[in-house]
Amino acid sequence: MSYYFAILGTQDNPLFEYEFGTSKQGGDGVARFAEQARHMNQFIVHSSLDIVEEVQWGTGQMYLKRIDRFYNNYVSCWITAGNVKFLLLHSPSQPSTTNPSRASTSIAANPESPATEEAIKAFFTEVYENWIKTIMSPFYQVNMEVKSPVFRSRVVAAGKKFL
Amino acid sequence: MPGQGQALAPADTAADPRNLVLQAFVPHIAVHTSEDTHELIKDKGFEFGLWELLRPFGERIQGKVNVRDSIGSGKTYEDFAVRFVQLGDGLEGPEVSRRSGEGKGPNTKVSSPISAQRARTGGDVAQIESLVDRHLTHAEEYPALQGEDYKTIKDARSRNQDYPSPFYTLYLRRLLSGIPMAPHETFSHPVACIIAISSRNKDPIQALRKLYDESTNGERRLPPWVSNEYLRYYVLVHDEEQDDITKSITLFEQMKRHFGLHCHLLRLRSSECVSSDDDSVQHPRCEWLSASEELVEIQTRETLEDVEESLPCIYESDTTAIKTFIREMVTQSVIPSMERCISTWNDQVASRRRGISGRFMSLSKKWAFGSSSRSTSNGPNAPTSNSNYDAVQGFYRPEVAEAIMRKLGDYAFMLRDWKLAQSTYELLRTDFNNDKAWRYHAAANEMAAISTLLIPQAMSSKVRTETVDQMLETASYSYITRCGASYGALRALALGMELLRLRGGSATDDAAKWGARLLDHKVVGVIGDALMKERISACYASKKGAGSGRWGSRARKSALWSILAADSWLTLGKPQQAKLRLDEATQEYAELRFKDGLENFGNAWEFLLGLRREVDMAMYPDSALEGTLVPELETEVGEETQDFVAKPHRMSLMGVHAPVLGGLESSPLHGAVLEGEQEETGQVQFE
Repeated sequence: MSYYFAILGTQDNPLFEYEFGTSKQGGDGVARFAEQARHMNQFIVHSSLDIVEEVQWGTGQMYLKRIDRFYNNYVSCWITAGNVKFLLLHSPSQPSTTNPSRASTSIAANPESPATEEAIKAFFTEVYENWIKTIMSPFYQVNMEVKSPVFRSRVVAAGKKFL
Repeated sequence: MPGQGQALAPADTAADPRNLVLQAFVPHIAVHTSEDTHELIKDKGFEFGLWELLRPFGERIQGKVNVRDSIGSGKTYEDFAVRFVQLGDGLEGPEVSRRSGEGKGPNTKVSSPISAQRARTGGDVAQIESLVDRHLTHAEEYPALQGEDYKTIKDARSRNQDYPSPFYTLYLRRLLSGIPMAPHETFSHPVACIIAISSRNKDPIQALRKLYDESTNGERRLPPWVSNEYLRYYVLVHDEEQDDITKSITLFEQMKRHFGLHCHLLRLRSSECVSSDDDSVQHPRCEWLSASEELVEIQTRETLEDVEESLPCIYESDTTAIKTFIREMVTQSVIPSMERCISTWNDQVASRRRGISGRFMSLSKKWAFGSSSRSTSNGPNAPTSNSNYDAVQGFYRPEVAEAIMRKLGDYAFMLRDWKLAQSTYELLRTDFNNDKAWRYHAAANEMAAISTLLIPQAMSSKVRTETVDQMLETASYSYITRCGASYGALRALALGMELLRLRGGSATDDAAKWGARLLDHKVVGVIGDALMKERISACYASKKGAGSGRWGSRARKSALWSILAADSWLTLGKPQQAKLRLDEATQEYAELRFKDGLENFGNAWEFLLGLRREVDMAMYPDSALEGTLVPELETEVGEETQDFVAKPHRMSLMGVHAPVLGGLESSPLHGAVLEGEQEETGQVQFE
């Protein structure tokens, strides 16, 4: 499974982007997106905002779960109190690229399973905590791109830990 | 939630998918004529006989048609239509084996005598694609003609998803024309058969009898899964110019005595009409041709010098006679007999099943004989004792209850009694499922979904997911996985998508979902792929948000699909279409609250800019070379509407040295003459 994680500001602008692959089941943590996915991922995430804006009013939770699907790409969302959206696009790897028999039971293969949902929730929770700490920086202003290497490394760690 | 589950507004535009469905699923009337009638009509210049003469008139029946539904309330329709086919048209073998391709590969039909007859059968996705491609290529070469040729409503169309592109309409229309005759649906089974002789016949009554025998058990008999008990309508074609009317009237009286009311005396002139004659009118064009037929027509038209000449003419008196004849036949014979069939079948077969005892019967059928006999019926073994389904040959015989109910549903559908149709299909779904008659099962699910969507009644989203979605899911699964019938799946999903879109509100999301599913299943070719992307975009666009923030709208999704469609069109070498889609996407992004939201996404924005550049390059290749031309032209296209006017000049300029858009010889509709004209006007403009 490959992941594309984006944090979007209040004006649909990306604040942070990170691509990674699964680390579970012997995955090496490298994203395996096709070349054209580089722009498609961004398009998909951007278009998912339509759904986010509708779903966010229907629940009291910050974790909105899996909200959208585009072909074989699934999008999960976490919305912060400051109307910043965490969007995680996950696309299961094609059976040809990995060993299908081994991957079939893991969260990496089945994006619709409750286990995946929980794992993503844990990931989001951890990122959220770090996000709060990062934007508490006195030099940070709303909708500014986050370039902090510390934050990035924490996101990487969270990805490695849960996904 | 705003707009959710609202009732449907009446259909008023021609491109409305409901109108398309109404006009596509109409009663089929077979035509079977004697040799001498054939000769007579051939003298008039119609090679294929009476059928060809009548065909276009069946598409628009003069005046209003009154239909009574199952409750007994009458409704009048102005746009009732029937389809004339030659006896035996549209034959497709029953589901014997899983064929690799769709319907009619070159080797599937043995019984068809002529290839022309095969061409009249639709249902071939590849043919539809190549036809639409042809029109598209033509439109690319002559963008200015698009307005007239393809009936584009340019001003209204520009950003209104209710007016699909003419090519999509064409695609759907061809998808629905020439529905193949198959056991699992009876739309193309004849509801009546015209048996015609002419006044030239020496032994008329005997000839009629012979024709009847031929159609009933002779060589022209339809396959065993087609019910033989359709209405026979006897027609005497009188030759006004050579034969004696008194003799014909006597004969006609005799026919009436023999055959009862279902007779008509059709008085036609036998000489060929030319356009220079006083009272000549052009024989109307048929709109519901199958794709392969239209392809052949385009090819023949290309070889002709003058487009006008290709259409035959008939006398006005003949037109009136034919119109009267069809109207009389439809209103006095065909519709009453269909109504009668519906009420009989409804009373005798369907209502029994609907009652308590009927439910019990189907239950006992399911369980009483134990599960052992059920489990053995998986393979194509001998048919199980308690099922009417002939699993070996793959059809129900026309006289068993299931087949009759399917006919009942189809008849009700054709007479637009959606509720009765829906409840009948609903019963059939479970029956076919129990019998493992998968093709029947798929078709019943398809029609159940379509008729549910056609009932102009509000539907909550919960009901919708439980019924319509379920049916479409089952239909597409059965069609594709169990039967390998991609045509059926395409038809079910495309119609389901369009009808769901009309419901507005959250149903549009569903519609888009089915569109995406259609692409997932890979049942369409490259052209269909691009068209479907276009429609998915339209589905999302028709979800209007609430309030000033357009809360709940799907503008970004719609824009994304537009961009995807543009990309596909560009790959297919259709930059005109790509440009239209890109303009749509740009406009949608411009209406967003945060217009430049996408600009911050580096790769996506770059891709969009690149796409735009490539489309411009493809459309105006020398703008890159002759930089001086560009600013001039850009000022010219400042406004959207002028865009269309400006194109031909630019095309003609570059046409001289860079014919990038494909060879001119492949232009389907207009020849080199027009190209020349265009060049001239272009030069005048720029001098």
